[in-house]
Amino acid sequence: MAREFDHLFKLLIIGDSGVGKSCLLLRFADNTFSGSYITTIGVDFKIRTLEINGERVKLQIWDTAGQERFRTITSTYYRGTHGVIVVYDVTNGESFANVKRWLHEIEQNCDVVNKVLVGNKNDCPSRKVVVTEDAQRFANQMNIPLFETSAKENINVEEMFLTITKMVLRSKLEMKERQNVTANDIVNIKGTKTKNVKKCCQ
Amino acid sequence: MNHEEILSVVQEKFLSSELVTAFLCDAKVLRPDCVKKDRLLAIVEYGDEKAVFCLFTSCYPPKSFTDLSIEIVLPIDNSFKCEIDNKPSDPEAILYLNLQSRNSKFKFEIQMTPRVDNFVDDLFRGIEAVNKLTTQPEFVWLKKYDGQREDDFIAQSMVLPRSGMAHTQVSAPVAIRESLIKRKMSDKEFDYTFTKRFTIFCGTWNVNDKSPVIPLKGWLCVDKEPPDIYAIGFQELDLSKETFLFDQTFREDEWYNAVRTHVDPRSKYVKVEIVRLVGMMLIVLIKEKHMSHVRNVVCDTVGTGIMGKMGNKGGVSIRFDLHNTSICFVNSHLAAHVEEYERRNQDFRDICSRTRFVQPNQLPKAIKDHDQVYWLGDLNYRITELDPSSVKRMVNENNFGPVLEWDQLKQQHKISNVFAGYTEGPITFKPTYKYDPGTDNWDSSEKNRAPAWCDRIFWRGDNITQLAYRSHPALNISDHKPVSALFTSSIRIIDEEKYRKVYEEVIKQLDKMENELIPQVKVDITEIDFGTVRYLELQVRTITIKNTGKLPVEFEFIKKLDESSFCKDWLIVEPYKKCICADESCEIQLKVLINKTSACKMNAGTDKLYDILVLHLYGGKDIFITVNGTYQRSCFGCSIEVLVNLNIPIREVPVGKLVELESKRDQYISNQSTYSIPKEIWFLVDHIYLHGLKEPNLFEQPGLHSEVLQIRDWLDSGSIDPIPGSIHSVAEALLLLLESTADPIIPYNLHPVCLRASANYLQCKQIVMELPEFRKNVFLYLCEFLQEALQHNAENGLDAKTLSTLFGAIFLRDNPNVVQEPQSRINKQIIDKKKAQFVHHFLINDHSDLIFTK
Repeated sequence: MAREFDHLFKLLIIGDSGVGKSCLLLRFADNTFSGSYITTIGVDFKIRTLEINGERVKLQIWDTAGQERFRTITSTYYRGTHGVIVVYDVTNGESFANVKRWLHEIEQNCDVVNKVLVGNKNDCPSRKVVVTEDAQRFANQMNIPLFETSAKENINVEEMFLTITKMVLRSKLEMKERQNVTANDIVNIKGTKTKNVKKCCQ
Repeated sequence: MNHEEILSVVQEKFLSSELVTAFLCDAKVLRPDCVKKDRLLAIVEYGDEKAVFCLFTSCYPPKSFTDLSIEIVLPIDNSFKCEIDNKPSDPEAILYLNLQSRNSKFKFEIQMTPRVDNFVDDLFRGIEAVNKLTTQPEFVWLKKYDGQREDDFIAQSMVLPRSGMAHTQVSAPVAIRESLIKRKMSDKEFDYTFTKRFTIFCGTWNVNDKSPVIPLKGWLCVDKEPPDIYAIGFQELDLSKETFLFDQTFREDEWYNAVRTHVDPRSKYVKVEIVRLVGMMLIVLIKEKHMSHVRNVVCDTVGTGIMGKMGNKGGVSIRFDLHNTSICFVNSHLAAHVEEYERRNQDFRDICSRTRFVQPNQLPKAIKDHDQVYWLGDLNYRITELDPSSVKRMVNENNFGPVLEWDQLKQQHKISNVFAGYTEGPITFKPTYKYDPGTDNWDSSEKNRAPAWCDRIFWRGDNITQLAYRSHPALNISDHKPVSALFTSSIRIIDEEKYRKVYEEVIKQLDKMENELIPQVKVDITEIDFGTVRYLELQVRTITIKNTGKLPVEFEFIKKLDESSFCKDWLIVEPYKKCICADESCEIQLKVLINKTSACKMNAGTDKLYDILVLHLYGGKDIFITVNGTYQRSCFGCSIEVLVNLNIPIREVPVGKLVELESKRDQYISNQSTYSIPKEIWFLVDHIYLHGLKEPNLFEQPGLHSEVLQIRDWLDSGSIDPIPGSIHSVAEALLLLLESTADPIIPYNLHPVCLRASANYLQCKQIVMELPEFRKNVFLYLCEFLQEALQHNAENGLDAKTLSTLFGAIFLRDNPNVVQEPQSRINKQIIDKKKAQFVHHFLINDHSDLIFTK
């Protein structure tokens, strides 16, 4: 049977300018890394297909411009997103401080959505300023999984994307289940009803 | 439909002057990384010129020319090349046609039919003809077919469609990707499989209508090790009429049970499948432990008997996949009688061509489409040219060689008339036909038939070794002896771990391909700074979009959410939508023009020279282009109320101050304001009053744009020099200034009253009395000035009617923010007339009373 995918999910990568959003996407989708910095001016996307528990999941991953001046426009791309990856740079404290604002942005523009927090550029301990403990504490507080990654060294990137995909997939399956349960309830009510009618007739 | 009927349909696709000289059905286009697709090839002739067309047909056979669409056009010119290849594994059935013309190359797979000769002949005639020509044909007639090609449609269908901004509508699953995965996986089969030897026992016996009254152990259980697979074929299971007519027999169960009972007891076997057609039955058993690796079991039967269709002769077959190897077993009973070997060859071909294994969602498979084929049965080939007695003598001496020389099957096989591509092992056993049942004696009946090796086993496929090929004479209930062959064959087994890795690799490759097909462009500038932008001064910047992707890309500047237009009203983008071919570029002009509408907003601070444009690529990304500039404030576009409060040139007013003034413009009263009319209006009017009242064509001859801009700068910067430019330019600047005021001289809400009152001077006067103070001042001041100008009509040629029309349109200008109902031309003329009429009163009547009421 021809099937290209069982699920299509839209993931969104947001975070301050220069934290490595495009690099994370490039690493995940094409397994490449380029040291030269090209700032993203707009929104770009790439696809990647994963197989999770025998289900074929196609990801359409959107990389957004992080610059402040584009924030109003980029927020319009949040619609229909299944999962959001909020990225900061572990060597840049301000980018971590801004995570709150990005989370707020998600709240403003998305319904229920799965999130992961990603501290990128975690490949040079001497330059690291956002310590894991602080980030972890914040992540726990917000109830969001934290990943410290390096797109450059290909550390934790695959795991991070896999986790968010699994979270999105689980949410979808749970939602489906809930719908089924509700559907069953309706049937049950109907069932009892007919029984009662019968009794009355007797 | 026959050939001629299809030809006439194909011909309809072309003009009557374009003659279809040959065509082929069932051609397949082979494209890199793409599935084969059935196509129709046609050679079309127009005068001396010929071209090959590849047509897609939406139904087969095409019923009308509308079912056909032209996909590829290859003119036969001197660049045209045609090469023909055979498929090595199937030299008779498949041809490859490589066609090349003008840098495009295509490979077609063609089924070998008699029509192919005609087609290829015609093709080569065309090539020869064109090479003899001294001048190259121009193929003008082909131009009209150019647009119909769909070269990139496969690639395009790979790309996830996306429309508008921030949409992710799920597209229907694309089957193409699925086929690609299949093909890539089968190409890489060796990377994730290993082989294991399986032993396969094939047995065949014509039981001549007998029941299994004897044990079969001597046939089925003679080898050292129990085989992995049994394939047992019977012929003449039941010769009764009932069986023939109704295809029912109790013998099926009898013989099946007998086989089950007598297979090697050292292993446990399970049934893969059993199939029977009249007296032909095929049973396939496999060791229980392998059964979980058996998939896609399908069987088929073909009757080639009476009338070429009945089941007294023919073949029955079972196919299945064992691990990653496809296996097919065929049991056949071919036509009888010594002289009928041609008939037997034909039966073989019929079985080959008519056996079809149909599986859901797959193309039907033929016998040849399998990795391994084992063909057994009573093939009925006899010994010719030797008399029965000498055959018997030599055979009895075990001197088989000379006899086998005359075996029809060996002879026919050698010249590839039958079983081409198949192998048979050396025969070292006595002929298996014909014996007196119950004995090992040759047929003693009157017919005295010569012995023959009727019962045979062939195979086809790589890595198959025959371990034994023998008869089992002890089983003597029939007039045939059973025959068996033992094979050891390589079966490809999937290494799950490796398979997963290869699969992931393939998926990644396809993802990569898909990502590469996402439209890509390079925009040279994404931040455009217009620098200082002045009122009514057009500025142009150019950006270049280069298509760096592999496909044509269509771009469009799209609206941002909640906005009615993709850019601000002071910006013009040309073109805002276009298609760019791969490697080509497109220049886009961005033009900024601040006119009266946008100037008002700039002055009021409700808009600034800043915009972000969204350049959207269909099926791809969005690029943000920032447009930026500094608007140099000007008295144009200010409100009269603000201008009367400015005692310094506008350029010296801080930005914030101007915005503040504009926001409070309704609150100014005369005694706090600096002037009673804007100084800018006074400067211009005074200049005309002093220097231009006698100027011919005053207010009618347009000024120079450059001078108008100089006058603008003069007004805005408060120069001490005299006003630059001609009188006409000053007059035009005045009109432009009056037109650009934030609000018209007569407020919009009074327009209907004005129009109604236009015939009545007293009422008009009444309205003017009620105008906001500064606008009333401007109105009366200008009317006074115009009356003065009219005094000099002898020189300047003015008349009250023209002036009232001109100034009526300015004093009572239409509200640009109100969507005008589509007015009829007449209606519009009436309104314009009334506006003029309104103003006219004040140009011909003395209204000094109004001025002095102040």
